[in-house]
Amino acid sequence: MSARDVTEALYVWTPFLAGGFIWNVLVSLCAMAIGTLLGAVLATMRLSHRRATVRASLVATGLTRNIPTFVFLFYLAFLIPVEIELGGHLYAFPAWLKASLALAVAVIGFVSDNLSEALRRWRSHDHAAALMFIPNWTSYFLVIVMASSTASVIGVGELVARCNTVIGAVGKPELMLWIYLYAMLWFFLCCYPLTLLMRQVKTWMSRRLPQRTPELVPA
Amino acid sequence: MSPLPARAALIAVAFLAGIVSAQANRLDTIRARGAVAVGVKTEYPPFGMLDGAGRSVGFEPDLAADLSRRLKVELHLVPVTTANRLQKLAEGSIDVLIATLGDTKQRREIAALIEPDYYASGVNVMLPESRKVADWTELRGNTLCTMQGAYYNRPMTERYLLNLQIYNGTRDAKLAMRDGRCDGWLYDDTAIAGEMRAPEWRDYAMPLPSLMLSPWAIAIEKSEEGGDLDRLIGDAVADWHRSGFLVELERKWQLKPSAFLQHAHAQWSEKDDDGAFVCARGAGGSWPARCRDEARANSEGKSRLEQIGLRIRELTGLDLTLVYDSYDRDQFLRGLLTSIALVIACVLGSALMGAAGAVLLDARIAVISRAVGAIATVGRMTPPLLQIYVVVFGLGSVTARWGLTPNAFLAVTLCLSLYAGSACAVALTEAADLLRQHRPDFRIVPRTVPLAFRLAYHPIVAALVNIVKATGMASAVAVPELISTSTGIIAERGNPEVMMNALMVAYFLLVLVVIRLFGHLHRWIVADERA
Repeated sequence: MSARDVTEALYVWTPFLAGGFIWNVLVSLCAMAIGTLLGAVLATMRLSHRRATVRASLVATGLTRNIPTFVFLFYLAFLIPVEIELGGHLYAFPAWLKASLALAVAVIGFVSDNLSEALRRWRSHDHAAALMFIPNWTSYFLVIVMASSTASVIGVGELVARCNTVIGAVGKPELMLWIYLYAMLWFFLCCYPLTLLMRQVKTWMSRRLPQRTPELVPA
Repeated sequence: MSPLPARAALIAVAFLAGIVSAQANRLDTIRARGAVAVGVKTEYPPFGMLDGAGRSVGFEPDLAADLSRRLKVELHLVPVTTANRLQKLAEGSIDVLIATLGDTKQRREIAALIEPDYYASGVNVMLPESRKVADWTELRGNTLCTMQGAYYNRPMTERYLLNLQIYNGTRDAKLAMRDGRCDGWLYDDTAIAGEMRAPEWRDYAMPLPSLMLSPWAIAIEKSEEGGDLDRLIGDAVADWHRSGFLVELERKWQLKPSAFLQHAHAQWSEKDDDGAFVCARGAGGSWPARCRDEARANSEGKSRLEQIGLRIRELTGLDLTLVYDSYDRDQFLRGLLTSIALVIACVLGSALMGAAGAVLLDARIAVISRAVGAIATVGRMTPPLLQIYVVVFGLGSVTARWGLTPNAFLAVTLCLSLYAGSACAVALTEAADLLRQHRPDFRIVPRTVPLAFRLAYHPIVAALVNIVKATGMASAVAVPELISTSTGIIAERGNPEVMMNALMVAYFLLVLVVIRLFGHLHRWIVADERA
């Protein structure tokens, strides 16, 4: 394939691939929503006055830290049925939701750690430091967008899965390298500028702080 | 708003209704729905493939179409693969499976295989034409590419001591063969014959006789065995044999005439003196013994441990093949060892890349430091799974021209090390920035790496633990690690509950051990600082 053939093939398939990337974003947003909700519960539990509540939250948070998302993805894919029957109605349990649930586990741990810290600061009227949670959360969202590419292995039609579809449909193995690189470019162009922006926001925010807060690194 | 107890009662009733309707048989469900979902293959020409418009066509979609005509419902063709087809059937996303499924004793235990069988194939190997072999035993110790979940994987390994490289799908196994990752491609004879029509396989041949001839069966869910749907499809297949429909389809799709279909056509058309079919259902609904496949009555000797395992399965429904079956147990343990090796390689690789990267970044050598910075940014801002695909399949297809193929294990180690190593390098340089606040002349050089590491300990360990969790991605490129072997066992045994929990526990412990080891390292560093 000449450079021109490659460019043409990439151009023709771009709308299809873009549709896949929308799935990456949707799966990630859903994972962030579920994870933030449950993580917030754990974070508030950590600030409780009752020692048992705090300990329960710490154990649960530790658990979410030890569960490998990629393995959990397979776990859910195999063990949650495709359709769930409720009141005579069949409700589909789509693969993308399973992917969101698996990714949400990592988000729970992240939110539990970071939000409890932010809440603590808020209560001690250190509001500016507490708001640091927002850029941290956004940076973590980008980590999850990249991780959402693994949803392809359980059959979610996101960007990477669609790359495989295109390779199969075009039937030219020479295209493989270029199409995977093209998909990488998509992720890079989405994540890199936003990460830079969030770093900018954090620097700007920490300048307004009386003291330097320790860097919160998403894990 | 209804009061809480009333709402609870309502939900309870809804659940009960759900349970009751779940007991209704599949045939009624299909008729009520007005559509039948049939699982067919999409990459197995000419049995199941996609046409130019992306529609499923082939020998098996034709059978599915005839079935839906008999059921008088609409037809939904659902693409399945060798690895997921029985899973899809068990979870109910398809009603009927017509997907080159070999009729084996084990599969009969996890799904209802319709009698009679509709086709037969054997296993064979595609080899470069230059390779002259006359007997299967000459392949001993050779590396052959194959696909996960194929019925012949295990017996062929055991009988001929082959070294199998197991891929997720036909496409990957095929590419691996073409790129020269293996000596030959172990596959179905019918499929190899179909493939060899393509010009890309001009220099390849199928010199050995087919082995393990296996009839193919249509499958439905296990609980439907002996039910209406089972009977209806069985009658349809018998009719296909009698009318010559299958022989006709074989011709239509340009397959070599198979002895199996000739024989079945004669057998099922045979009539007794009264003009009735010899092969007709008896009073109990089963076919006469002489028309049934002999394998259906076969049983094999079992060891003591196996007997206990089977007893547990009868009592609890849990199939612990992992414990009682030596083949599955060996596979799983080998997978565990491969995963541990991957973990060690990736942690060391990431640490090394992180340290080297930080030294180069901090050295501020014009071009080199820039380049390292750019690599680290790309490494962190693109998904590791895609990086792995780029190296294994993308670069692999380029280097194959010179007869070179990247080793999948090394490729995964490299990509994951790049991903985590980039994060480590960035953490080290940030630590260096902090150190410079007190010691303006501080530079990261090999000697001062430990100092920066102490400051950057937490983010670095977080990145390394993350990469340990991500080692499972190696399963996407057929590295025989824990996930690959677990899904492989599920494809053969149909025991996802046992295998997925075993996998989860194994990985959980692996991560825990790594975290513990880092904890020890931390304590040692702190003690060292105090000393």
